[in-house]
Amino acid sequence: MYEPTDEKLMLQASNGNLDNLKILFERHHMHVFNFLNKMCGDKMLSEDITQEVFYKLMKYRASYNNGKFVSWLFTIARNTLNTHFRRAANNHEDIEALDQKHITIDEPKTDYSDLHVALQKLDVSDRELIILNRFQEIKYAELAEIVGSTPGAVKTKVSRALQKLKTIYFQNT
Amino acid sequence: MEKNHITELLPDYLDSLLTETQNQEVESHLADCNSCSIELKELESIIEVIKNESRIVPSESLRSNFYKQLELEKQNSSKTIALDTAYKQKKHSWTNNLLKIAASVILLVGVYFFGKQQQVERSNEEIAKLTDQSQAFKQTAVLSLMGNQSASKRIQGVTFIEEFAEPDEAIVSALKDRMLHDENTNVRRTAVEVLSTFITSETVKNSFINALKTEKDPGIQITIIQILGKIQEKKAAASMQYLLEQEDTQPYVKDELESVLPNII
Repeated sequence: MYEPTDEKLMLQASNGNLDNLKILFERHHMHVFNFLNKMCGDKMLSEDITQEVFYKLMKYRASYNNGKFVSWLFTIARNTLNTHFRRAANNHEDIEALDQKHITIDEPKTDYSDLHVALQKLDVSDRELIILNRFQEIKYAELAEIVGSTPGAVKTKVSRALQKLKTIYFQNT
Repeated sequence: MEKNHITELLPDYLDSLLTETQNQEVESHLADCNSCSIELKELESIIEVIKNESRIVPSESLRSNFYKQLELEKQNSSKTIALDTAYKQKKHSWTNNLLKIAASVILLVGVYFFGKQQQVERSNEEIAKLTDQSQAFKQTAVLSLMGNQSASKRIQGVTFIEEFAEPDEAIVSALKDRMLHDENTNVRRTAVEVLSTFITSETVKNSFINALKTEKDPGIQITIIQILGKIQEKKAAASMQYLLEQEDTQPYVKDELESVLPNII
């Protein structure tokens, strides 16, 4: 059966067919949620932000510019997460401060996987690229759109980030 | 340096994203380079780990909340759409039209009555103006007639005065003037007859009393005596007495005076 693309569904949604957003939610909410969860390691927070992302998707549906839907979706997710940390950081922590934060939180907990722990030790930008590219299987072109770079640069960055990750991962195991 | 290049190609090599020439390049390099082969193995295993990393499922509330938000949004947007199109146009245009019709009817009726009222007022004004004008015309006509050389014209002028319900001072004094001083007996008599209709006026009474002294025509004298006698004017008694004592007064005038005087006094 013919499945309409995300872009077509979103375009129709922006023109008033709001039920399409249900299909898009079903297709993508797991990805958004898991991306956020891997980024911040907080399940509750990830749920809240996922909720916010899809709410924004609905509210600002008219501003969808016919670009790649996945790029748009993850740009919203990324910005929402950044905004959250900027707002929550009453001690003026940057999103970079996530690194230290999670190391300290992670140690006593055992329900995080080795990979998850290894991921938290990466820079946020590296972590982001790996999660988006390797976990959410977002192509270089779209990934470049999300992080505001070129596909070639993103490709190199992902490759280097993977090397860093595997070094950390294999050191620990 | 060449190894680095290969390293960056390895993820895509594993994903089979490389071109045929790139693939051959990588494979030939791997055959020679041990470190790159290890690199590839490690990469393969980490990607495997990533693949096997379990995906967490968010709680059901995420979906139900989103669906609720969506329903709310649908209601809001459908409301605005409905207001913009069919609903508003049908229902509101119906009442709007009715209101418009009612308003125009009220306006029409209002304007009609206003116009009518205005017209009535204006015509009333016009009538009043015309009556005023005609009154003025009559007065000037009467006054000029009474000043005319011809006695018959003067009589005409005097009789005209009967048409006035309330003649003004100028008319009455002109009439008095005719009665007292007109050389023509007929004019004086007509003036007396006309003046007798305004007998309630104090000036008219006084002029009758004066006329009694000056009037020489016995016919007019008798008419005045009868008029004054009818209203029993006491002030006229002295003039009557005076007339009675005059030698040149006609005997039948004296008879008339003698019959009237006891009633007055």
